[in-house]
Amino acid sequence: MDLIVAGHAGQGLQVISRTLAWMLVRAGYYVFLSQDVMSRIRGGHNFARLRVGTEPVYADGDAAQVLVALDPALVERHIPHLAPDAVVVTDAAGTLPEGVNAVRLPFADLAREPVMVNAVAVGASLALVGLDPAGLGEIFSGQFRGKGEEVVRRNVAAAEAGFRAVVEGGKGCCPPKLAGGVPGERVLISGAEALALGAIAAGVRVVTGYPMSPATPIVEYCFRHAQEAGLIVEQTEDEVSAANLAIGAAFAGARSMVCTAGGGFCLMNEALSLAGMTETPLVLCVGMRPGPATGMATRTEQADLLFSIYAGHGEFPRAVLTPADAEQAFHAAQDAFRIAEKYQTPVIILFDQFMADALWTVERSRLRSGVASPSTLVPDSAAIKPYSYRRYEVTESGVSPMVLPGTAQQLVYADSDEHTEEGHIAESAAIRLLMVNKRNAKLAGIRRELAVPKVEAEVKAEAEVKARVKVEVKVEAEGEEKAETLVFCFGSSRGVVSEALKRLRAKGLNAAMVHLNHIWPFPVDAVAGLVGKEKRALTVEQNYSGQLAQLLLQECGVRAAGTVRRFDGRQFTVAEVEAGLEEMMR
Amino acid sequence: MRIAAERTLAEEWAVPKDVDVAWCPGCGNFGIREAVKLALSELGLKPEQSCFVSGIGQAAKAPHYIRCNLFNGLHGRTLPVAAGVKLANPGLVVLAEGGDGDGYAEGGNHFLHALRRNVNMTYLVHDNQIYGLTKGQTSPTSEPGMKTRTTPCGAIEPAFRPLALAVMMDAGFVARGFCARPRQLADIIKLAVQHRGFSLVEILQNCVSFNHVNTAKWYSHRIYDLADEKHDPTDRDKAYHKALEWGDRIPVGVIYRSGRKSYDELLGETLGPRLSDPDRIPDLLDELLGQFQ
Repeated sequence: MDLIVAGHAGQGLQVISRTLAWMLVRAGYYVFLSQDVMSRIRGGHNFARLRVGTEPVYADGDAAQVLVALDPALVERHIPHLAPDAVVVTDAAGTLPEGVNAVRLPFADLAREPVMVNAVAVGASLALVGLDPAGLGEIFSGQFRGKGEEVVRRNVAAAEAGFRAVVEGGKGCCPPKLAGGVPGERVLISGAEALALGAIAAGVRVVTGYPMSPATPIVEYCFRHAQEAGLIVEQTEDEVSAANLAIGAAFAGARSMVCTAGGGFCLMNEALSLAGMTETPLVLCVGMRPGPATGMATRTEQADLLFSIYAGHGEFPRAVLTPADAEQAFHAAQDAFRIAEKYQTPVIILFDQFMADALWTVERSRLRSGVASPSTLVPDSAAIKPYSYRRYEVTESGVSPMVLPGTAQQLVYADSDEHTEEGHIAESAAIRLLMVNKRNAKLAGIRRELAVPKVEAEVKAEAEVKARVKVEVKVEAEGEEKAETLVFCFGSSRGVVSEALKRLRAKGLNAAMVHLNHIWPFPVDAVAGLVGKEKRALTVEQNYSGQLAQLLLQECGVRAAGTVRRFDGRQFTVAEVEAGLEEMMR
Repeated sequence: MRIAAERTLAEEWAVPKDVDVAWCPGCGNFGIREAVKLALSELGLKPEQSCFVSGIGQAAKAPHYIRCNLFNGLHGRTLPVAAGVKLANPGLVVLAEGGDGDGYAEGGNHFLHALRRNVNMTYLVHDNQIYGLTKGQTSPTSEPGMKTRTTPCGAIEPAFRPLALAVMMDAGFVARGFCARPRQLADIIKLAVQHRGFSLVEILQNCVSFNHVNTAKWYSHRIYDLADEKHDPTDRDKAYHKALEWGDRIPVGVIYRSGRKSYDELLGETLGPRLSDPDRIPDLLDELLGQFQ
């Protein structure tokens, strides 16, 4: 079942959509909740889509059975998104287009107070999908934490009024009621929250950022839980400072993370290069929204892939991770810290706005802490002769043992200039060669962090693959092995592509998906092996120039036979990916 | 902490004599380096208790020429890195060091916000009113009319007055020293390091290669010690006037002290302790995940 909740900014759409989603998850359903939000504080037209299923759902649906519109004027523009039998819940005042199957409720009367209109809408929606409003109090208590019990009570009363109004007066136009939910230990979490939580689970200590969509929710989550998690969270004067402060903290031994979007990441490029040169472990969460420049602040794109891979002046190793959903985001944070520390270099978690702002239903058991990540920190610096520590000691792996400043009888010199093994400024050609080779030798090790991809025979099996705490499989190939076409994607396109391929298979068109979760260093051998000589590669990506297709060609010599692209700031729909792929496969 | 004999500690801060120092003979940086070593050794600190953070420029090379912990980062980015080091390890004595171009031009915004943030660290600014390493361009503190490679007809912008800005921002500790008086400078640095919060030490410095106006002799004729005038550094109005005084008479010494609480004090008061035990994480994660159910 699909639902749409529409209204103006400032009308409490988040409360409606999140509460509904929460009720559904508690009732045993899997919910996928995505937001379409304008960059404004009041007014405009915002909406949320809820996809509800008895099995995991990872993408928006094509046609909703329920539309909750706080303003009837918003109904018309959603008619293309509605199923023929859809029910519209909206205010009694105002006119509706012809032929709409509507439940008209006097929102203001039922609410008693204007701020309670959203609670009325929650109650009305529950009645339409056939869920008991008992339990709402608990959810409202969580949402209105700190506003007092009276506020919770009045919201529950308003919701019950909305529920009753539909039950008593709206009979005969309800959509099929939900059935088959099996309650389990599941969480409903946004991609941004999962990223933050993954970082906390990985033992992050210092988080910095400058407010910018879509990274702000990550920093805000950390601020909210700073006390209990023991975090230092700093909103700096700009992104330059955010990145440098995190680097300073990492140099002094704190796991550090900086959060930004593409534009802010531009400002951080110098610091990214600094982390590479000084060999400082740093995790950067970079959210993609449509650019260039300010672009579209609250919308989605995947156009910073090549930028992230090449960002920063000079040559230094890095990893770029592109999680598909909340569960992968949680693990991406842990993988990022593990790789950053093991190889003493920056790791970028490149996520799209859609992934970060959407809410995903995740089995709780899959979100475990992997904090015991290997560290190159010298366990006993007493084993090193006093005052002889060399921060950039040349080793075969390129990774030097790490001693922190403040260690007794050792001094640590880190330098952004080319430097000696001791960390002092150097201009000798011989030292330069030694250090360039040392730093870039780490790339081979980082590459080994990527495991050999597997072709999954069944999409469902992915759950098992993802269940691993230690993330081994970085390239997931979904679909049947005999598929002659491989569809490559990264980031949040995974759910959409997976579903589109399922539909194509039903039409006899066989293609398998390869979702690149850990995209850099590019898994050259694995991808080249999967494509081989016979198979055809297609890409699905949200950018203009086909950046993943470019990588395939450049890294593996694989020329994609076609790319399905979208770059209007909106997430792909399953139908359009299906249509795009079908055209290329026929 | 065991306090070793003063001479031994002073020696501990010194690099071997054969280290190739990239400064011009007669550079004011040498005097500043002596003052820094003197101050830190007299405070009974060992090099490994320190962490210097510097940027790029001839001044920013200074920590390479003493024994210390050092993060030598990017031009202008000294202060955010230093704040990060201090927040991650409050046990370290953190000093940021660089020149006028590094701190007041490239790092201007960070300087402004470091004054606001008030992290417990000391900022040593070698101010020679000129760009040295890039060979003689104008700096934010160059006097109007000063001819440089990038102001061939003379600088037309007014000089930046960092100390006045710091007083205006109610910085905790604002002082000025002079490179040719290392004893006095060392005493100022000692007070700065002992101050809890952000302490600014602006150091007047000659550049023998590119600044032929503000020479060591030029400064020597103009500077006077605020202590001799019984200046009260807690008087903000007077401090502001002293911070702006420039020309025939240039004050050195402690200009301003405020009772502002430092970042770590305020953080401790409002949000409790930080950097907690990693063993807590599984329980913490369990608790946080529960809030999403």
